[in-house]
Formats: sequence, C-alpha cells, structure tokens
Amino acid sequence: MHRFSYVRPESPEAAVEAFVAAGADARYIAGGTTLYDLMKLDIEKPAHLIDVTAISGMDAVETGGEVLRFGALAPMSAVASDPVVLSDYPVLAEALDKAASQQLRNMATVGGNLFQRTRCLYFRNGTGNAAGGYPCNKREPGSGCAAVDGLDRGQAVFGQSKSCTAVSPGDWPVALVAMDASAEVIGPKGKRTLRVTDLYRLPGTTPHMEFTLAPGEMVTAILVPRTKAGRASTYHKIRDRESYAFALASAAVALDLRGDSVRGAHIALGGVATRPWRSPAAETALVGKRLTREGALAAGRAAFADARPGRHNAFKLELGARTVADAIMIAAERRRA
Amino acid sequence: MTVPAFPDRARVDAHEKVIGKAPYAADVMIPGMLFAMMVPATIAKGRIAGLSTEAAMRVPGMTRIFTADDFSPPPPPAPGGPPPPPPLIISEIAYRGQPVALVVAETLEAAIEGAEAIRPTYEEASSFSSRIDSAGAKQEPVKPVSAGDADAAMARAAARHKAEYISPAQHHNPMEMLSTTAVWTDGQLTIYEGTQGANGIKGNVARALGLDPAKIVVKSPQVGGGFGQKGAGQRQTAIVAKAAMVLGKPVKLVLPRAQIFHNATFRPLSRHRVEIGADAEGKMIAVRYDADHQQSRVGRFPPSYHSGLAQMYGIANYHGTAADIRIDTQSPGYMRSPHPHPGCFAFESAVDELAAKLGEDPVAFRLKHDSKVDAFTGHPLSSCYLNECIIEGARRFGWDRRSAAPSSMTLPDGTQVGLGLGCGVYPANQHPAIATLKVMADGRTQFAVAGHEMGQGIRSTIEQVLVRNLDIDPAKLEILIGDTSAAPQHTTAGSWGTASATPVAMEASAKLNAAMTQLLAGRDVSGNLHRQLASVKRPMLQVEVSRVPPGQTTKDLETLRSGGHTTIGPNYPTFTTFSYIAHFVEVHVEPRTRRVRVPRVVSIADCGRVISPRTAASQVLGGVVWGIGAALREQTEVDPRYGGWLNADLADYIVPVNADIGDIDVGFIDRPDPSMNALGVKGLGEVAMSGASAAVANAIFHATGRRLRAMPFRIEQLL
Repeated sequence: MHRFSYVRPESPEAAVEAFVAAGADARYIAGGTTLYDLMKLDIEKPAHLIDVTAISGMDAVETGGEVLRFGALAPMSAVASDPVVLSDYPVLAEALDKAASQQLRNMATVGGNLFQRTRCLYFRNGTGNAAGGYPCNKREPGSGCAAVDGLDRGQAVFGQSKSCTAVSPGDWPVALVAMDASAEVIGPKGKRTLRVTDLYRLPGTTPHMEFTLAPGEMVTAILVPRTKAGRASTYHKIRDRESYAFALASAAVALDLRGDSVRGAHIALGGVATRPWRSPAAETALVGKRLTREGALAAGRAAFADARPGRHNAFKLELGARTVADAIMIAAERRRA
Repeated sequence: MTVPAFPDRARVDAHEKVIGKAPYAADVMIPGMLFAMMVPATIAKGRIAGLSTEAAMRVPGMTRIFTADDFSPPPPPAPGGPPPPPPLIISEIAYRGQPVALVVAETLEAAIEGAEAIRPTYEEASSFSSRIDSAGAKQEPVKPVSAGDADAAMARAAARHKAEYISPAQHHNPMEMLSTTAVWTDGQLTIYEGTQGANGIKGNVARALGLDPAKIVVKSPQVGGGFGQKGAGQRQTAIVAKAAMVLGKPVKLVLPRAQIFHNATFRPLSRHRVEIGADAEGKMIAVRYDADHQQSRVGRFPPSYHSGLAQMYGIANYHGTAADIRIDTQSPGYMRSPHPHPGCFAFESAVDELAAKLGEDPVAFRLKHDSKVDAFTGHPLSSCYLNECIIEGARRFGWDRRSAAPSSMTLPDGTQVGLGLGCGVYPANQHPAIATLKVMADGRTQFAVAGHEMGQGIRSTIEQVLVRNLDIDPAKLEILIGDTSAAPQHTTAGSWGTASATPVAMEASAKLNAAMTQLLAGRDVSGNLHRQLASVKRPMLQVEVSRVPPGQTTKDLETLRSGGHTTIGPNYPTFTTFSYIAHFVEVHVEPRTRRVRVPRVVSIADCGRVISPRTAASQVLGGVVWGIGAALREQTEVDPRYGGWLNADLADYIVPVNADIGDIDVGFIDRPDPSMNALGVKGLGEVAMSGASAAVANAIFHATGRRLRAMPFRIEQLL
C-alpha cells in the first residue's frame, strides 16, 4: 500500500502530457486487471496512475477494411465477440476467450493485455504481506533468480537467460505475433508504428526491462493485416485445468492451404518462452508440403528442436510439439468447415 | 422401530446465502473498531535479531504494533489436560510465514502499509529441513495396529500385490478467509470467528492469555467452509484478543490468503506402502501397510491411516505401521477425509491392481468380500452396506458396458475411455449433547445445541427433525449453534455433527410434546403448539435435554460442559460401525496432449438414515469434486532452499473450476443404523471424498494401461 496520484485525461495527447509531467514511477492504467493485482502484491509501486479509460474513441473495433484495427481500449470480450473476428480469425477470438474469465475479459483491454507481466511464482512472491521475498531479478534487479535452480515446471524453454527464465504469460500477444500484427504508439516524441513482436525484449541480463516502449509511450491501436489464412486458424492452449489458468504450452496457427498442400503458415508459441515466440522452423517444415498428421508432428518437433529445458519442464518439449501438431490439424479442419 | 425416510426440503439458509445476507464472522462491524495485519517471517528457521517499528509507526492512522515483547509465554499445560494453545508472537521462528508482529491501525489500508514497512532482521539457523527427505528430518514411529496374523496369512497367500502410493501436501482453501474479531468490554471478551470449534477457541484463548473461560464468549454464526482447517485453534486468535484487551477497542484481523497457506494447518504429504494378499479363491486375506507423513517439530496430527480399511472387506489379518517425519514447517492437521482420503487412494488403488493381477472384474472382486465383523475387536459391524452401494452404483453407471482390458475403449477421435471404481470408508462418530428447546406463544421456536454451520447443512438437518416432531411454525424457528453462550459447544468435525445434534433434537421434541400434554391436562385445545400456548395463556414452554451416545457416560457430559473434546466411534462397546461409499468414475484421456477429463461420476453412499436429502447430496457433490481435484490438480509446492509454500494463492494452487466437472449422480442406501442412535444416522461429510481419487486413478489405468501412484496426476505423467 503506497500513496499514488491519479489523473484521468480525456485524450491520448493529454495522457502523454500527464505522464511526462508525472516523471518517474508513472504508469498508464486501463482495465487494471494486472496492475492493481501487482500493486496489492507490493510488486508494482507506481507513484502516479494515469487512467486512460476516459479517452473517447480509443475502443473502436474496425474489421471492415484491409487491415483490422482494434482500439487499445477495446475490452477483450468485445474483440472476441466481433462477428468478423469470430468467422475470419478464430485464432484471435480463441486467444482472447481462453485468456481469462468472462469478468476479467470484460474489464481488461486488448492494449493493456500486451503488457501483462509474468506469472513466475518467484516473481509474484514478493515481500508484501506474503511470506515470500524470494530473489527475483525482474522484481528486484540484481537480487538473483530463484527459478533457475528452483521449481521450474512452469518456466521457459526458449529465450531464457541465467538471470531469468520467466514465461511471457499472454495468449493474445502470441496470436498477434503469429498474424504479423503491429501496434500504433503515441509518446512524448510523437506517433510511431511497430510490429507487436518488437514490443518484447529477451530477458538477457536486464529481465526487469520487458518492453521496448520508451517512458510515456502508449499503445493506441493494434493492426492485423487481412489474410485468408485467418480462416484456417486456431489458438490451442493446454493447461493444468480446463479454464482459468495460464498455458503450459500453446500454439497460434494460421494456414494458407491449397487443396491438401500448405502454401503459407503462421505459427507462434505461448507458455514456453520468455516472450511471444514465433517459430519459423515450424513454418518452414510445413510450407510446400502436403498436410498430414505426421507432417504436423514433424513441424511441432521442428518448433522445439532448439529448446533448452530446465530441471522440471522438459515435458514442455514433447507437450509443445504435440500441441503445435494438434493446432495445425484443428486449423486445417477449420478451412474445410 | 426405525424412523421413516425424510422428505426433500430446501436448506434453511439457502435464500439468505443467495442474497448475501447470511452473516459470517468477519462481517461484524462495530463502531470504533480497529484493523490489524500480521507481519510474516521470511526465513524458515531462526530467531528475530532486530525489529524496528519506527517506519511503520509513522504511517498515518497507525495505532499500535505488537511484537514478541508484548506477550508472555502461557503457563505450561496441566498434565493430562488439553494440549497447549498455539504460541503467541515469539522470537523463535519455527517456519516461514510465522507472525513476527501484529500491526493495528484505524484503517485496513494503514495496517497493510504499516505491516509492509516492518522488515525484521534475523539470525538464521545454520540449516533447516523443509522436505521429508531433507537432512535433519526425523522419523518417529507410532504404535502399530494389528489384527490376526498378517505375516502368516501373507505367506500363504496365492497372489500378492505391493506398491507405494503418494499423496502430496495440500491446503484447504475455503472461500472464507481465516479471521478474528475481538471485543473487550467490562471484563468480558467476545470473539467472532468462523470456526468449527467455538469451545476450543474459548479454551485456547483462556489458556494462552491466562483468562477465566467464563469471561469469554465465542460466536461462529456461519462458517464459509471449514473442512478441518477451522477445527483447530488458529495462531492469530489469542494475539488479536490480546490487542483488543490492551487497546480497549474492538480489533479485526482477516488473514490474506498467502498468510493462511503459511499459518493454517494443511494436509501433510503422506506415503503409503501397501501389500495385499489374496487366497486361492481370490479373496483378500492379508494386508501389510506402512504409512508415514510430513509433520512439524511439535505437531500432534497423528498418522492414523489404518482405520476402516480392513473392515471394508472383512479382511482378517492386518498389520499397519505409521510414523511422523518431523521437519521445519507449520503443523499439519485435519483436512477433509483426513486419513481415509490418502488411505483409500492408496488402498483402493492397490485393491484394483490386485484385481487386475488376478484377472478379476473390479466390481465382482470387491463384492466377494461382504464384511460382517470387525477383525480388530471381534464385534459385529452394526451396519455395512458397501456392497449395496457398489451394486446400485454399477447399475446406474452402466458398468456392464465396460470392456475389461485396459486401453480397450476409445472414441472415434482416439480419446481413451476408462471406467473405474473406488470405495471409501469413514468412522461413524458422535459426541454427547445438551440442548434447550423453547416454543413460544408468539409463534417463535428456539433450539440451542452444540454444532457449527460450515456449509454442510447442520441447521437443515436439525430443522428436518424438529419440524417432523413438533407442530410449530418452521418460518420462525431459530437454531442457535456455534455460540458458547447458547449451549455447550463441541468441535464439529469428523462427520459427527448430524449424528450428535439430530438425536438430541428428537429427544427434545418428545420431551416438549410430553410437557405440553401435561400442561393441557386433557383439555382439547386446537391449533399448533404456539396457538395452544396462547390459548392456555402461557408465553412459552421450555425443556432441556442431554444425550449420551452408547459407550459414553455422564462424565462425558461434564467434559462437554467444560468445553472439552469427547467423541466415540467407530468402536462402541458391543459393535463397530463406519459409513461407506462407492464412486464410479469415467475418464477421457486425450490421444496426444493427454489431458484427463472426468465427464461422469456416480457415487452411492451408506451413511445410515439420510436426514436432509438436499444437503446430503450437496455434501457428496463437494466431496467428489474435491476427490477429482486431489487426483488431478492440487499440490502445495515447497522450494527446499527456502521452506514455506511457493504457490500460495488461488491462481497457482490449482483447484478444479466448473469446466473441469461433469455429471455427478449421487445416491444413498438410506438404511438406518439403529445401534448408533434413535434416528439411525452415521455420518457423511468425510466419507463423501474417501476413495474418489482412487476411482480416478483406477479409471485412468483402465483408459491407458498406465498405473499412476503419486497424486496429483499431471499431464507430464501421461505423455
């Protein structure tokens, strides 16, 4: 529990201005489903909250044109129930639907969800009012990583470093990375557009720095290029229970098929990497070949060929490969339907 | 003469629960009340070296910070008396998360901020043991139990099966948090706390703080899930009471869930090495069973894993050993179906494995063992309808559709289907009771007795009996339980609630009706009891009744009156009796990613006479859900380098969600056990869960041919 200031500007420009005026320790807040949770855990300690939910028009969902455009403030539930998203991009709808409970999806925004922080147990067990206080370089830079030699069943097998093995928790960012999405950003230096995949850093030696946005920058919209691969797509998520859990392994898959042969493939992995993880190896293994279940499994195995398991998470390599394979077959089935 | 079956009735508090009006202990709001937060230790073992309260005291709204300096040790327990109460705040740290300070402030926010500002320094112990295989873990055997000659019978067995089964550490996680609100006025201490043992709290607080128990009242109006977690004395209760007494103001503490994980009791990890031998006819004749479990350095939760298993199948030769393994953790304790859940998981898995080895059908194999006699005492089992449970369950479940060979049933998409049976047992216990029944001319009725409403529906069972036996207005019936000022209270646990509260309600009804007959003295007065009282111009009629179960005496009534603990069962002077259940489970295992689904369960219980069909069915539903959760989901994780519990919240301690649960069909044999009490009630809450996890394991074996012996069964075990 720390004191913080709170403002609610009504335009993106005013929000940026408020952020610049607030200086260090400011945070934008939209749905609040992650930030408030982490504030209660004494992990996020913002001195200034800039609530962007009063900005009008930033929640538009536009799916009529050559590019799908989702305003950053659109609730996850609104995008997931858009008729065009449902019929032409099941990978996007499913990634949103499987991300959280209906109540959370009604509150959380598609822009804010890009910046959800890891569910690593050691990260979330801060000192707060829990009995934790485990070392975590993400939470307290320089304190060490308890997960590297600890209980790492849920940890990453791609992209991890000696400083951090925490999994990037999101489902939606994985689907967006698979679909070559980009993000419109406004900040103190004006507007720019960058690929969603370029929002994320690898942990390296600075795992507390997770995103590439400069201080004061804010995502205002997400753009997904129209592709007919969207119809033959799925977000397949395997977890420890049927619902309301983060992925042990997930796969976002969209296929461009002609007859039984694969002309193009979009494949990204979730639950297994320190950032949303596009898998060119899996895509290459599929493209130009006839689609078979054996070929799908070969693509899944190709996706995990250079994975690096820890102590308790080697099962993710086999599970992940099979998840990719099943996702490929589900996506292909969609096209036929 | 046995009482007839009871009709289905809505639970008495259903409406007020649905609209959010049912009062829970932490709902109490008192003018001038202060709010508290505990500060948890962040080491696993050692002592507090320094604790500065300066920064915390600067938080606006801060009232007072209590540390080890504010508490003196309680007097040592009297020989033969009740066990010592939980320690207060002390400098010695025995487990990670132990409270090192209590922060009291005018607002909850200030209390939280103050608690976060306290960062004690510690002298850490040079080593500690956080797991049963850590250096420094100490194995302490308890007395073995024996019937017949297990070694000799095992030696002549024609077939044997032996394996080890593991049940992990688990935490209860009821929705209602642990809380204490203490009010000190005019030398009287009132404690509001969601508890299964208002009497126990009273005794613990009196002993911990050196108070006269007569000055303490404990109120537990509704408990938002007890499951054994709220049966034992809690660490925080006397600490909060002391704060209220020092400050002269009411103090409320609600523990955050992570602190509950670290301070409440939990189900300890247990290991079960089971060997069963069968004779040439394929009947089980011998069991050797070694069990041990995780224990704290000072804990008392016994490793009593041998109750009821031999009696399920009339096995004449049984030898069971058990041991505590003491490590540096908080004390484990009773969690729903405390011993029979892990015990029946192990034993019923082993029975299934032996049946498979003999090539026998799991249903037919069990039905050969109609059990009549308790081999340990030689006494008859006064009622045992386990076979009736199995037969009715098999019929409803469609067991005859099962093809015997493992991995022989698949769906068109390659999903493997498995059908499994697991049975459960739980002792039929009861305790003495003292009840007051008051019927008033104005239409009201009050009934006060020992009991705690923790969601299981004890008020609904009492209402069933009163409404059947008394001509009263049910809408104005008030059932006073969980309140030490209303009637002597006894801990409600061990499935003894209904068997203890409802027979005395029946006796009280009879006594009141007799008193009314006497009062009317032959006059023909029409109307219900309230109208009759009004007609004869009597404001009320009151009776008091006490009841002692078979095998207990007036001495046990005295123990009850003084707030003590006294139960009897399953061994009574001339008979033995248990409740039984048979769970039939269908699992579907995905062909490639190997997720296990449980689309269908049929559970049939023998709990004696069913008093409240509605709440009884709910009890079994909840028990089965938990059995599925225990088999497939739940485990509290320890990083041995740090101690404590790593996944200490509901996001990471995985319990089933609605989407995990399919159809659960519940049925009852509903035949009274008249030896137990006049109503023929045994008990239900605990047996509901016993054996359910074994049914899941047995179904997974049937689906896949893979025998899983360590819960929880996670995806990596089946890949």
